[in-house]
Amino acid sequence: MQSRAHLWFIGPAMALMFIVLLIPILIAVGLSLTDYSLGNQGAEFVGLENYERIFTRSTYEKMFVATFRYVFVVVPLTVGLGLGAALLIHSLGRFGDLYKTIYFLPVMAALIAMAIVWEFAFHPTIGIINSTLEKGCGTFLEAWPWYAKGCERTFPLWLNDRDYAIWTVSFIGVWQGFGFNMVLYLAGLTSIPPQLYDAAEMDGATRGWDRFRLVTWPLLGPTTVFVVTISFIRSFQVFDMVEAFYPQGGGPSKSVFVMMFAIYEKGIQQNLMGIGAAITVVFLAFVMVLTVIQRWLVERRTHYV
Amino acid sequence: MKYAMTAMGFVLAATAAAAEDKIVVEFGYPYSHLFDVTYEAILPKFYAAHPNIEIKMRATYESYEDGTNTILREAVAGNLPDVTMQGLNRQAILVEKGIARSLEPFIAAEADFAKDGYHKAMLDLGTFGDEVYGLPFSISLPVGYYNMEVMAKAGYDATNLPATWEDVVQACVKLREAGVDNPMFWGWNITGNWFLQALMWSQDKPTVEGNDFQLDSDEGLVALETMQNIFTGCEMQNLEWKSALASFSAGDLGMMYWSTSAVGAVERAMGDFTLVTNEYPGITAEGPMGLPAGGNSALLTSTSDDPEQLAAAWAWLKFITSGEGAADVARTTGYMPPNQAANEIILADFYAENPAKATAVRQLPLLREWQAYPGDNGLAATQVIYDGLEGIVTGEYEDMAELQEELSEEVQDLLD
Repeated sequence: MQSRAHLWFIGPAMALMFIVLLIPILIAVGLSLTDYSLGNQGAEFVGLENYERIFTRSTYEKMFVATFRYVFVVVPLTVGLGLGAALLIHSLGRFGDLYKTIYFLPVMAALIAMAIVWEFAFHPTIGIINSTLEKGCGTFLEAWPWYAKGCERTFPLWLNDRDYAIWTVSFIGVWQGFGFNMVLYLAGLTSIPPQLYDAAEMDGATRGWDRFRLVTWPLLGPTTVFVVTISFIRSFQVFDMVEAFYPQGGGPSKSVFVMMFAIYEKGIQQNLMGIGAAITVVFLAFVMVLTVIQRWLVERRTHYV
Repeated sequence: MKYAMTAMGFVLAATAAAAEDKIVVEFGYPYSHLFDVTYEAILPKFYAAHPNIEIKMRATYESYEDGTNTILREAVAGNLPDVTMQGLNRQAILVEKGIARSLEPFIAAEADFAKDGYHKAMLDLGTFGDEVYGLPFSISLPVGYYNMEVMAKAGYDATNLPATWEDVVQACVKLREAGVDNPMFWGWNITGNWFLQALMWSQDKPTVEGNDFQLDSDEGLVALETMQNIFTGCEMQNLEWKSALASFSAGDLGMMYWSTSAVGAVERAMGDFTLVTNEYPGITAEGPMGLPAGGNSALLTSTSDDPEQLAAAWAWLKFITSGEGAADVARTTGYMPPNQAANEIILADFYAENPAKATAVRQLPLLREWQAYPGDNGLAATQVIYDGLEGIVTGEYEDMAELQEELSEEVQDLLD
């Protein structure tokens, strides 16, 4: 007879996974099909109505626009800057650790605290950004029409103008995030065997660009897949900054109404658990798709070593 | 180990003894920047009168919406405070959900309740289905704030301040010509919908009738167009409300339309200029026909069955809404205490000495209800209106008729 001991080994882990991960997700899916509002005794089953709202209402259209704008600005820039910073630091003999620490500082700082600092910096009149810009008035910079307009009246309300808000927030996202990618890339770079560079040089790859194109970049493949995926997931998850800047409404004309904030606004601020759960499920679906793509890439394409 | 247990035993016994000595009443209130000073003034007086009660302040609510929401969450989690201050238009939902307790039994036990200055018109603000649930604590109305030094640059003095919104736009143009970058701020963002109701009541039109959102009326379009004229005519910046108050206090703005509630806070924070408040402008030269009452009232949300605990909560609730407690509201903020005794006896000379706080009192005959958006989606409906109004400020919506239709549909959909 076969021993049942294996059940005792995998049982606790399985049970935990069900209780901590799967059951809450199932509850969220269940809630998303109802109109449950916190504090009510019961709830009505409404089918896919909540999802229909998400894909038809203009508010949620703004949510997707804001989320994708943020994600597609922040991911390429954090990955690019992260790689660039890692290559530069890797090529440094001295001071490498110092730069590493400097670039990594924003990652360690709590974003919500940093948001308050940025809020001061971006203050329309007394903030350091606009008061520095004002110093340039009356110089050659006024030849730039945008600058002249700012001098004439006021420089933009970086955080409260709907044409600027999402880009300002994205900028802070990049500032905060690229140090993390830099560290991941640095780890990737140290694992590249130096002999490969020697071999490449013998085969005629003498220029730095050739070495990067033929050795470094392909060997960083697995790291890149991981970095890109983690950057996507982290950008989809942006929340604390938005909540700190725009506690009500998600930015001017909802231009920074990212998904996580939408979940918070519906589910927590307005107690509408049904629609909040529905947005959560859509969010999970996005993250799931990204993870599946990552698995697929890792297994197929990136095994060089 | 044994010592540790003994020590723990002592600690437990000590806390139990302390709890026996004093009854702790848990209390939550909104807008700490307005009310912290008020409660700081009231507490010593309360402790002198009730030495055996301790008031434990919970973290303040950021806004009325946040306050309601916190209470709804706490009701589910089972850790409600004993007394909570809620926006006048958010009482209904807590009564509907059975979270607020009726105050009738306590009122019945009071010997001379009316003599304490609670009169019917004010009690009506907290009465639902013949029973009193909330005792109003502070009442506000929208008023105009003027920085007279800035206004003087365009030739304005206390006698010719703008009386209609068109006058306001003209004043903006003159001020801008006189070199003022930011002439005006209009508080559209006060709890997301209060100023919309102000423009509706100005035309004597309620914003909600039964379950029907009334923005799709002619008055609704006038309200939206008036806002658009103000925003574009004054080229108003989309300031967050805290920075708007800060800008006005710093002397940058010439005019600010806001709740009278902030007069106290502005007077404490303002730089060296002359502050004058004046009547809220009207759509026509006759002035507004009505204005929504802002403010909050005290609700009893204790889940305790212990009569002593309830008596203590009631003592606090009654203390802050009557007599000296209520008078401190007027002294420290720009709010009016909705209590006759406090207004007529304790504060008899107060308004003559504080003319900036007297404007709202002059406007009292215009006082109308601050209407609630009924049902579970009340908060969501408020947010839709907030987003719509913000769209006018940011210039996202240019066609008011289109916005009127869009907002009416979306809000109505939430109220049905």
